[in-house]
Amino acid sequence: MLVWWRRRQTGPRVGPGRVAPARWHACAVSDSPAYLTPPPSPNHEMLSSFCFCRSATRRLSYPSAARMAAVSTASEAKEPQQPSPVLHIGHMNVENDAVFTTPSILFTRATVITPTGSKTLYAVWALLRPYGTAWPMLKSYSTVAKRLDKFKTTIFTQMSMLAVKHGAINLGQGFPNFDGPDFVKEAAIQAIRDGKNQYARGCGVPDLNSAIVDRFHKDTGLHIDPEKEVTVTSGCTEAIAATMLGLINPGDEVILFAPFYDSYEATLSMADAKIKVITLRPPDFAVSVDELKSAVSKNTRAILINTPHNPTGKMFTRAELEQIASLCIENDVLVFADEVYDKLAFEAEHISIASLPGMYERTVTMNSLGKTFSLTGWKIGWAIAPPHLTWGLRQAHSFLTFSTSTPMQWAASVALRAPDTYYEELKRDYLAKKAILVEGLKAAGFIVYPSSGTYFVMVDHTPFGCENDIDFCEYLIKEVGVVAIPTSVFYLNPEEGKNLVRFTFCKDEETLRAAVERMKERLHKS
Amino acid sequence: MEAKLSKASRALNASPIQEISHLAQRCGAINLAEGFPDFPAPPHVKHAAVAAIAADLNQYRHVQGICDLLAVKMKQNHVLDFDPLTDFVICCGQSEAFAATILATIDQGDEVLIFDPAYETYESCIILAGGIPVYVPLDPPYWTLNVDKFMRSFTGRTKAVVLNSYSPHNPTGKVFSKEELEVIAAACCQMDCLAITDEVYEYITFDTHKHLSIASLPMMKERTIITSSLSKTFSVTGWRIGWACAPTAIASAIRNIHIKVTDSAPAPFQEAALAALQSPPEYFSSLKADYVAKRNFLIKMLSEVGFQVHNKPQGSVFIFAELPKTCLLSDIDFVKELIEKAGVAAVPGRGFFHGDCNDQTQQSRYVRFAFCKSNDTLSAADQKMRSCVGK
Repeated sequence: MLVWWRRRQTGPRVGPGRVAPARWHACAVSDSPAYLTPPPSPNHEMLSSFCFCRSATRRLSYPSAARMAAVSTASEAKEPQQPSPVLHIGHMNVENDAVFTTPSILFTRATVITPTGSKTLYAVWALLRPYGTAWPMLKSYSTVAKRLDKFKTTIFTQMSMLAVKHGAINLGQGFPNFDGPDFVKEAAIQAIRDGKNQYARGCGVPDLNSAIVDRFHKDTGLHIDPEKEVTVTSGCTEAIAATMLGLINPGDEVILFAPFYDSYEATLSMADAKIKVITLRPPDFAVSVDELKSAVSKNTRAILINTPHNPTGKMFTRAELEQIASLCIENDVLVFADEVYDKLAFEAEHISIASLPGMYERTVTMNSLGKTFSLTGWKIGWAIAPPHLTWGLRQAHSFLTFSTSTPMQWAASVALRAPDTYYEELKRDYLAKKAILVEGLKAAGFIVYPSSGTYFVMVDHTPFGCENDIDFCEYLIKEVGVVAIPTSVFYLNPEEGKNLVRFTFCKDEETLRAAVERMKERLHKS
Repeated sequence: MEAKLSKASRALNASPIQEISHLAQRCGAINLAEGFPDFPAPPHVKHAAVAAIAADLNQYRHVQGICDLLAVKMKQNHVLDFDPLTDFVICCGQSEAFAATILATIDQGDEVLIFDPAYETYESCIILAGGIPVYVPLDPPYWTLNVDKFMRSFTGRTKAVVLNSYSPHNPTGKVFSKEELEVIAAACCQMDCLAITDEVYEYITFDTHKHLSIASLPMMKERTIITSSLSKTFSVTGWRIGWACAPTAIASAIRNIHIKVTDSAPAPFQEAALAALQSPPEYFSSLKADYVAKRNFLIKMLSEVGFQVHNKPQGSVFIFAELPKTCLLSDIDFVKELIEKAGVAAVPGRGFFHGDCNDQTQQSRYVRFAFCKSNDTLSAADQKMRSCVGK
């Protein structure tokens, strides 16, 4: 079977004998050699579809898929004219991952008459490599899976590197520069000494599962089954990945609220979902009911909410959650609730959407140890969901990491049984830190948006005259010596975030004061 | 509500090994089923972890030192040059390293060759990435590579071959010989496929056998992804410290996936990994010696009670034994009886075979025993087995 390719887009001429970068589309197939000039030499082989699979949908990557697409359009082609002889020795650049140099590519051109007019098709020949077929030349360039197309270098790494270079105070990264409580660390040490170092049960050490259940009951009033409704994961990050991969089918529609934590978009694209975004806007980042109603439909599979919300510090109100709940029940939609900051709720009461009537059976509630106990590197998280949803996410979890760090799980079960005084003190400490930061940011000239929860604060940087958030953050690092995170990365459309940056106050008071001083001294309004 | 599950996860089944484990627990049986030790981890490694926790090394981190040490080991053990800054990804166990590798390289419709018998985790992973697992049966009784079947398994869509020598996913403990690896390597080069290896037992190899990684064969380094972990070498299967090692572009893709799946491996254990990977050569030689003794002990016991141990494992901690000729029970029934009557748990072999690539009756004739247990445990198991089996 021979596949014919049509060039969809002509590029500029780049010189004699050189073909400009083009997009190629598989569009016809023939199996009669009469349509095709014999191969240029016995050493030439007809290329199949590999690198030329950049059709409009970017999904054709395999010979069979290309053939199917080709066959469907072949019916259009009537008797093609006798193709002209081999006429082009060219350098073909088919996007970044398949580049061929002359003279190994030859093409034969033919004109095909179709009902809609004539098309010019190319048959492409590659010179066989000495030890094998022409395929290696193509395949080696498309080794990496398509799901990575959307992955970008994380902004956090870039900013961190700049920060180190300039000795800047880092209020960008969302993890503390102080450590967790001793009683939890000692529990982990004891577990290691007691030999609790082998595989834990995949869904979690029973002691931890019941501690999670007890805590959840205290927080929401719901009774859940530790064996069937709780799954322990390597951090909330893995809970999110397992939920997406276990419960989302390719093509499913999922709604996100922008700005959003960067792993949501990445894991949804891994699951090949269709993302719909509802933007939360300053000053109060409230959910627009109209936008919500028009976004949710019978095609929606799930909505992802993060409350308290990173990066805005917003907490979803009861009214907003009830709106979301009623739409979900009406349209049979799941909710994935990321609640890692639930214990850092300052200005409002944290409400778990799973506790609203009719919602538990369709909600996955995710949380972790790291933020509440300042042990972000331990990677202990969990997902709470009704049995039928738990089953799906456990399947994904079992191949993603199989089981979670054993000694830390034992320590986590001790942590979660901490008395209320621990949480009260945690809140008091963070409120004090927040006061230092917020006062300082206001004094320095930022427009500060109120943050009800998490340890983040969003501010508008435009008083200082920078074009966009990334420029401002670079300026802040280099000239002022403080790191913030540009929030455009948290939006699907970066334009929406260009006026905003995020600061964190999960740092000790001395660090916060020092950062605030630098900003007051060195930031100049324009 | 089952309709809410993704198609892929619905295709997966609950693990038979877990069910047997639960039965074993209920009966208080000696567990020779699951592949993790019941003896303590080496003190110097535990101390390092305790020290790290106490020293406040508990926030998200990437410990570059691990990559530096691994690069040195790659050079020492396999004469392979890897760049410690770009070619390693530290993950939550070899499980995550493998999952991230699959998600980074396998697209919808890609085929992946797996040698059979093999445990199911590989298959699940590949299916969830949209790939198609293709089983290549090894020939009993010695589980040799059938070159014909192997070559015929390749199609235009084959993207990778999974090599699970020495892995818990290869219950037979068979290790591919150099000749077999060369055949596999030549096929990978010719068909332009990746090789993904699981080398968690790289330090638990026996007799004169030295662990040979396919990446060290000609033209293989650029297309091989090596995954491994601390778990088996240092008896810390619960710590979840593993890694993937690959050419820079692929490692970068794996790292991107890893960052979105878990973001970081447990921080204090990464610190402990530094101490572990700097263990003196005596540690590794005594590890081997201990395991050889355990292996020999168990083989002797099994043979003497009537099992047919065709294949003396050359690596890993498992023995895949065929039921005594006189035994008419299936593997599952035999294992259940063994738990209930003798108080010893093992794993029925059928869960490791797939499709009808091997004779159906053959598939239910094998049982897998683990010998990564203390000498006391093995002796106790020995006593119980002798009193109940082979009468």
